[in-house]
Amino acid sequence: MAAHILRLRATLLVGALRGDPSHVVRTVVVFVLLALATGAGCWGLLTLRSAPTEVAFVVTVLAGSALTAGFVAAPLIAGAVDPLDPRRFVLFDVRPASLASLLALAGLMSVPILGLVALGVCLVIVWTAHEVPWVASAVGVVLGVVTCGLLARVCMALVAMFLRGRRSRELTGLFILAILVVVVPVGLFLASLQWGGRVPSQLAQAADILADTPLGAAWALPARVAAGDASAWLSLVVAVASVALLGAAWAWIVQRVLTSTERPESGRERSGLGWFAVAPGNAGGAVAARSLVYWLRDPRYLMNLLIVPIAALLAMVPLLIAGVPFAYVVLVPVPIVALFFGWLPHNDLAYDSTAVWLHIASGTRGVADRLGRIVPMLLIGLPVLAVCIPLAISLHGRWALLPAMVGVCASLFLGGLGLSSISSAVAPYAVSRPGESPFQQPERVGSSAPITQAVVLLGAIVVAAPSLWWAWLAMSHDISYAALGMWGGIAIGLAVLLVGVAVGSLAFERRGGRLMEFAESG
Amino acid sequence: MTGAPAAIDGVVVPPMPPLPAPAVDPAVTPDSARKSEASVPSDGGAVQTSSADAENVAPASVDVDTADATSVGTSSPAEPRAEVEETDVATGVAVVDRVEAAPVDVAHDEVLPVEEAQGSADDQAVVDPDSALVAPDVAPGPAVVVDADVPALRVRGVTKSFGDTRAVDGIDLTVPAGTFYGLVGPNGAGKTTTLSMIAGLLQPDRGEISVNGVDAGSRPRDAKRLMGVLPDRLRTFDRLTGRQLLYYCGVLRGLDSAVVESRAADLARAFDLADALGRPVSDYSAGMTKKVMLAGAMIHSPRLLVLDEPFEAVDPVSSSVILEILSAYVAHGGTVILSSHGMDLVERVCSRVAVIVAGQVLAEGTVDDVRGELTLEQRFIELAGGLSDVEGLEWLHTFSG
Repeated sequence: MAAHILRLRATLLVGALRGDPSHVVRTVVVFVLLALATGAGCWGLLTLRSAPTEVAFVVTVLAGSALTAGFVAAPLIAGAVDPLDPRRFVLFDVRPASLASLLALAGLMSVPILGLVALGVCLVIVWTAHEVPWVASAVGVVLGVVTCGLLARVCMALVAMFLRGRRSRELTGLFILAILVVVVPVGLFLASLQWGGRVPSQLAQAADILADTPLGAAWALPARVAAGDASAWLSLVVAVASVALLGAAWAWIVQRVLTSTERPESGRERSGLGWFAVAPGNAGGAVAARSLVYWLRDPRYLMNLLIVPIAALLAMVPLLIAGVPFAYVVLVPVPIVALFFGWLPHNDLAYDSTAVWLHIASGTRGVADRLGRIVPMLLIGLPVLAVCIPLAISLHGRWALLPAMVGVCASLFLGGLGLSSISSAVAPYAVSRPGESPFQQPERVGSSAPITQAVVLLGAIVVAAPSLWWAWLAMSHDISYAALGMWGGIAIGLAVLLVGVAVGSLAFERRGGRLMEFAESG
Repeated sequence: MTGAPAAIDGVVVPPMPPLPAPAVDPAVTPDSARKSEASVPSDGGAVQTSSADAENVAPASVDVDTADATSVGTSSPAEPRAEVEETDVATGVAVVDRVEAAPVDVAHDEVLPVEEAQGSADDQAVVDPDSALVAPDVAPGPAVVVDADVPALRVRGVTKSFGDTRAVDGIDLTVPAGTFYGLVGPNGAGKTTTLSMIAGLLQPDRGEISVNGVDAGSRPRDAKRLMGVLPDRLRTFDRLTGRQLLYYCGVLRGLDSAVVESRAADLARAFDLADALGRPVSDYSAGMTKKVMLAGAMIHSPRLLVLDEPFEAVDPVSSSVILEILSAYVAHGGTVILSSHGMDLVERVCSRVAVIVAGQVLAEGTVDDVRGELTLEQRFIELAGGLSDVEGLEWLHTFSG
């Protein structure tokens, strides 16, 4: 049996090189890239032979943890179908326990794991050069590789269990977005650190923490043996325990898959729903999906989005001309971006034109309508801010201000969304109709348009006033205000958002008839 | 019709020119005949429904089994019935459909005695106040009471002004459950405004509207839940594909997403839209847009369908398909109120009709009552103020070149 499955695995690997030419080319390119990356990684590792032990520790632990995390993320993003999905063995008479171990073993025969093994060998060489017994390094590497292999298996199985039928371009996009939100700020932070020949203390601390977690424990084992303290035992215990736990999880999954049947629910018609398939199947989720489709496809919305960065960057010009130092000017655009993102949906309902009848006639709850409409803004705004805030702070140069900046942006953005939720139900004004050019002005704007715009914009600034004040204090007087600025700003922003959604919901439900009259007159 | 299922092809195509006739006949004729005898006009529709069922379906239990609001009529030929069963399987088995499962039990308990009473009483055309019970209670609201005395729609003294113009001026309408109700009137008479107020899209200045006994003023959400709406000249979210739009309609109505998906597939098949579901609605023709919106209006199996100009821009084949579906819906106790300019169609399809001119109801009743000796069109023109002699256009008759 074992020989069969392993041979099957090898055949599958070779089989990846068959099929239509474009597929083969793509596979080969990926393989080559992977091989190049592995080669570069090995070379980089080997240069650590002569580096100080501490540097080697930090680099190997961080890189190992990142690779391990990659084995979790890759199945989620790529949506790769496991060719050795245990469900495919349901019809054969194999005991779940032996199947689980066989599949785990076969799973180690994969190209990424091969690359990992190559890196592992280099790691052993590096630590041998640091006078660590090769057995200790080898144990660490084996544990690390097995952890990665099991993680990939478990994640693929979980994806198959929970995301089957929901897998779509949209979902992949969301995952990539989530990873960007994590990776970019971390990367910026790392890039901003002063290396200057020795390891920055923050990095050493991070590596120390990772060395105690399942992500980095196995990779940290040789380094800690080299350091010669008792923490090596902790790493060993964590690494062994995580392999054991993952093994148990894998066994349980195989057992479950072999003894249950798929629900045929998400079969034929599931495709073609786009964002609707990703969003939860309730009214709020549907409104959110619909809004997303419009935000990403309707030129009128795209126009609004494009104006935000331009406005933010233009705001820097007069300040620079006036001679304000760049380190301070660079802090200005991000809050402006946050403000505009919060302000953008202040007239969202008018963009629906008369199509809003569907929400009114179906008696959609105000909460569902209001929340659904701000989801696209959250999905666009949060990642942009998550990337821009650290970027601005790294250009500014003083990371201690980061919390204050987060607070200011949170209260501007969330507060603006809250006020927008009210205004788009209470005081919508005419905009260019669906399908028309975004530059075309509506024939009848009405006098309320500038008032609504100004009230929401100024209201958001007023809401953010406390956090702006705290940020100012942190910058000019006492940096300890930064933490207050962050938590205070987030709390105020969330409170205004909640109140805004509640009031907006009431207004939407009460004013259905008048909203329709507005829409039809526009 | 290329992509249409055999069921619809089978019904529609063979008896050629007067397309909807076979399906509609049993529903309309006995009703109008009885209407003249019946003293209480508001119950006529309900009686017609149940008696039509009793005539066509020999064993009473069959009717109970197929009692499902989404189903197609017993009064129509056998073919659509096959489709019904498919629908039931799709929604009832694959999904735990709370909405439909519970009320059918109620119908089960109450239908049998009524069926028997109806069967014997049918010849004498006695108005049985309980007969509306035959209409299965499938509306997705717990608070819905089914009672023959409760009309599907009741409009009292509804008035609406836009600025100085009074678009609707004290309209009274009573639409009994299980009727096909037509609203006719000249351009600008207030039909669309009236239907918009019924649908809850506009707030009346004065007056009351109740849907199946639910007061739309005080419980708007409950009332809206009972209605499916097809507005005229309002946009829809046309950047969505047809499939997304149907899904959107269903989920906004609170249906489970799996139910929505299977119903959307059924509706697309019935309306011959299956091939177009993947395209954005903005690419659809006017008639296809109308069909997909109508499908969206029906997806939650409402008790009352409010349709504004449902046949405008729809080709004859499609409109006969739509009529087929609507007739079956009415035969099963559903109620349709529609506005139309097609007098022929109203005359042929509707059991009751109201003529609205300048925001007021000038005539209301069964089609026979309203038209009297004339055709409905002649009567309509008469009510609308007659054909005034066209003057001042003499220059039009002296051709310039």
